[in-house]
Amino acid sequence: MADNNQKIVVVVDDSPSLATLFERAIIDMDISLQIFDKTSAAAEYLKDNKPDLIFMNIKMPGKDGLATLKEIRKQPLHSDTLVLMISSKDYAQDRSIAKELGAIEFITKPMPIQVIKDALIKHLNF
Amino acid sequence: MSNAYLRFWGVRGSYSAPFESHLGVGGNTSCVEIRVDDHVLLCDAGTGIIPFGNEILKDPNVRELMIALTHYHWDHICGLPFFVPAFIPDWKIKFFGPGDSSLDIKNAVSAQMRAPFFPVGTETWLANIEYMDPPEENKIDHGPISFTFQSVHHPGTTFGYRIHVNGKDILYVSDNECLFLNKAIRQKYAEFSKEEKELYDAMQQEEYDAELDLIKDADILIHDAQYTPEDYRKKTGWGHSCYIDTVNTAIDAGVKELYLYHHDPNYDDDAIKIIEENALKIIDDRSSDLKCHIAKEGLTVEL
Repeated sequence: MADNNQKIVVVVDDSPSLATLFERAIIDMDISLQIFDKTSAAAEYLKDNKPDLIFMNIKMPGKDGLATLKEIRKQPLHSDTLVLMISSKDYAQDRSIAKELGAIEFITKPMPIQVIKDALIKHLNF
Repeated sequence: MSNAYLRFWGVRGSYSAPFESHLGVGGNTSCVEIRVDDHVLLCDAGTGIIPFGNEILKDPNVRELMIALTHYHWDHICGLPFFVPAFIPDWKIKFFGPGDSSLDIKNAVSAQMRAPFFPVGTETWLANIEYMDPPEENKIDHGPISFTFQSVHHPGTTFGYRIHVNGKDILYVSDNECLFLNKAIRQKYAEFSKEEKELYDAMQQEEYDAELDLIKDADILIHDAQYTPEDYRKKTGWGHSCYIDTVNTAIDAGVKELYLYHHDPNYDDDAIKIIEENALKIIDDRSSDLKCHIAKEGLTVEL
């Protein structure tokens, strides 16, 4: 159960190793990590929950991360939810679509753990 | 027994290549017909759909078809403004492709036919046009043909299709950069800590497993093989595969038959012949049973 000050961070990525990278990154931070390996499960969770930050992979089984972001942006609850893309699809077109959908940053895989830490500190005001 | 086949109407990527030196392989851009009796599924609508459209008009039994678009890059849709059945009232044409809704697909298909890019818009199409909403389950049926879709590694949302016909699985993956993440990891590997290296080692395996899952056990795989290693070095990150990666991945995934597809328009028949010879050598060196062919315009494969 999250305490009052604990930040909630959602990670949508089908890679167990990526999930471990995040688990290592949040050590010493008061963060509750919610990890989803399917965009459909993340979308279901996000119907009723507004995390402090979402990290969204693009190439995913089923609906991809860009389509999922478009879908959740339609909900008033998430019109201003902070979303960072995290993907190896470092293509100008993907960056441009992500930006149009209000993603605040585009982190290119692979990245050191410190890059995740820096993003958490920056966007969660630690 | 049904009459079932696939036929390549366009095999080029990027742009058409109607040059004498290229016509052994073919000059039209992406379009593959999959047919079972009077049911027709077209994969992509590059310039190859134009001769297909002219030919199918002669067949009185077919007045309905489905077009599954992998994405909306120009080489995959640029035949549509010249696709004659769309302009004839007694035709019914269904479109499917990436998008949140039928409206997304309609907008993407229509965009290239707006002024000032083209003199008439899709509103002049007289056929019964249906843009399909994404299905609740990942499966679409078109008579005896069914297919599922999966995002692949190419700019924007791009689908690969697994098409089930006559008990066979045909994988149509026109645009996909094989193993891009793995290459990116190898490039940055020295910068990582020991802990990060261990995790990225595991991630490389995960990524490869996902690539293999995409095409696993395909009876027929039609896959992006746009570049030679020399050109791939210059164009890494453009969303297309080096044919060597395509062949090796197909072998590892247990694919039975591979058609190297989406040929670079700069490659003439001689250049593609060398690609074929090299691909066959890889298969031989690896003692694989994979059958490998160059996708050529007009080539028909019985299903």
